[in-house]
Amino acid sequence: MTRKNYGLAFLQWLAKPVVWFLRQTRGVQAAFLFAFILFPLFIFIVTVALPVARNPFETAAASEIRENPESLPDSTAAEILTGRRELAKKMAALEIDQAFLLTRLELAKKDSIGLVIDLTDSTAKLEVKGVPIRHCKILRYRHSDLARRLRGQGRLHQWLAAPFILQKELATLPKAPIRIKEAPKDTIEAAESKGEDLPIEQRDAEFTLQFDRNLTLSVEQTQPPSFAGRMREMWYGLRRNFSEARDAVTALLHLQLPQHRLWIEIELPREDAKAIYRALPTRASLALRL
Amino acid sequence: MNTNPNDGTPNHRASTLSEGASQAEEKPETVRSPQVTPIIIASPVIAPPSASLAPASAPKALLLGISLGLLAALLTLWFAPVLREWMFVVLPESKFALQLRTTDLKKLQKEALLLKKRVATLQKKHAQITPRLPYLIVDTSENRIHIMKGDEQLHEGVCSTGSYVLLRSAAQQRQWMFTTPRGMFQIRGKREAPVWKKPDWAFVEEGLPIPPVNSSLRFEYGVLGEYALELGDGYLIHGTLYKRMLGMPVTHGCVRLGDEDLRLVYKNLQLGSKVFIY
Repeated sequence: MTRKNYGLAFLQWLAKPVVWFLRQTRGVQAAFLFAFILFPLFIFIVTVALPVARNPFETAAASEIRENPESLPDSTAAEILTGRRELAKKMAALEIDQAFLLTRLELAKKDSIGLVIDLTDSTAKLEVKGVPIRHCKILRYRHSDLARRLRGQGRLHQWLAAPFILQKELATLPKAPIRIKEAPKDTIEAAESKGEDLPIEQRDAEFTLQFDRNLTLSVEQTQPPSFAGRMREMWYGLRRNFSEARDAVTALLHLQLPQHRLWIEIELPREDAKAIYRALPTRASLALRL
Repeated sequence: MNTNPNDGTPNHRASTLSEGASQAEEKPETVRSPQVTPIIIASPVIAPPSASLAPASAPKALLLGISLGLLAALLTLWFAPVLREWMFVVLPESKFALQLRTTDLKKLQKEALLLKKRVATLQKKHAQITPRLPYLIVDTSENRIHIMKGDEQLHEGVCSTGSYVLLRSAAQQRQWMFTTPRGMFQIRGKREAPVWKKPDWAFVEEGLPIPPVNSSLRFEYGVLGEYALELGDGYLIHGTLYKRMLGMPVTHGCVRLGDEDLRLVYKNLQLGSKVFIY
C-alpha cells in the first residue's frame, strides 16, 4: 500500500465513528451522547471545576476583612491605586519576609533536619536547629500560576506562615542505599568477601515531596539522566500521575472534592538533590519563601 | 485461491483483491483462452455497508457510549491537575485582585514601619542561633567534613561514614545496620590514643566466635588513630589505618578521618561543641 493509501485508510478509520453516529436514529443518537458525555462531564465537574471554584487558598484568607480599592468611588480609587498600591505591595513583601522568618524560627525548635527553600534568592538549604548545614543554588524553578495570583492578592504570607509538613514522597532513588550482607561462616569466607569491590552509586536524583496545605515540591537534577535513568524517570512520572489520580478517586469515594495542589519545580545539581532527599526525615518540615 | 492458468502458480496480483472482486473475476477466467494472460484490474468495489456501521439499537448505543465515556472520564481524571492549572490561568485576574487591609494611607504607612521593625528583629533573632564556638558538619552523602565558626568555614576535608550494609547472621539470629546517625550531636568526650573495644558485629563480620564481654580479645590498640571524639551511643569520630578508603561510605557508623583532619577537629572542637550530621 502506498503512503497516500495509508493516509486515506487512516481518514476512513477516523470517519467511521462519525458515519456510524450519523446513520443512527435520533433516539439512539441521544442515548449515545447522553452516555458518552455523562461520565467525563461528572469527572470534569468534581475534579476540575469545583476544586478550582472552591480552592483552599481562597477560603484560608476569608476571615480577614479587607477593603478592595476597586470597589471605591472612581476618584478615590484612582488615587489609591497609584500610590497606595505600591505601598501595599511593599507591605505584602514584608509580610512574606516575616512569615518566612517566623517559620524558620519554628523550624529551629525541632531536632530534626528541615528544608528551607527561598525562591527569591534561588537557594535551598538544609537546616538543623536553625543552623544551615548545606547550601544549594537553585538553577531553575517554575511554580503554579496560583502562587502568582495569591501574591497579587496579598494573601501569600498567610499560606507561608507555618512550616509545611511532609506527607508523602516519591523518588527515582532509594532513601537509603542499603546492601544486605550475610555474615561469613568462618575466617576463610570472611577473607574472601573482604576483597569485594564497593558499588559506586550513580543513580539519578529526581523526587516529589507532598506537603500538607496542598503544596507539592518537585526536585529535578540539572544533569541529563542516563538511559536507565530516563526509564526510571518515565516510571516515576507514571507513578506520580497515578498517585494524583488515586488521591482524587479516594477523595471522591469519601464524598470530598479533590484539592488542587500548588506545585513548585526546582532544578538542582544531582549531588545536592541526592543529599537533600536522603537527609530529610519522614515528617520533615519546610520553610518556604516565594 | 486464484492460480495462473499457464503454470499453475498462485496469482499474487489477483489474491490481493478483495473477496468480492476475486469472485467477480472467477467467471470470465474460465471463458478465456489459455494463451491469453489474464489482466486483472483492481476496480473500486463499493463494499456493502459493514455490520459495524449499521444502525444500532438504543441499549447497544448506550453501552457503547458508556464505555467510551468511561474512557474519556479516566483521561479527564488523569489530566485533572493540568486542567485545573489551566483553569487558574484562564480565570479572570479580577478575582485575585489586590486587596488592602485598609485604604487609609497614614494607617498603611504606620503598619509598614511596624512590619519593617518586626522583620529586622526576627532577622537578628535568627542570626543569633548559629553557634559562636567552632562546630563540625559531616556530609554523609559526599563523605566530607566542614569545620565551621559562625558562617565562616575554617577547614574542609574528607571522611568516611556508614556503609548502609545490613549484616545478617543466621547463626546468631541477629542483624546490624551500619549507618551514621543524622541530626545534631554534641562532643561528649575527647580521648587521646584511644583503644577500640570491639563490639559483637566485629567478630561476626570476621567469621570469628564472639568472646565474653570483657575478654581481652575485644581490645585493639592503634586502630582508631591518635584521637577519638565521642558522640554518644558508641559513635565516634576517629582516625583510620585504611586511608585509601577515605571519601567512601565504608564504616560501621563512626566518622573516620585522615590524620591531619582528625588533628584539626580535635583541636577546634571542645566538649559540648556541636556536630551536625546529614
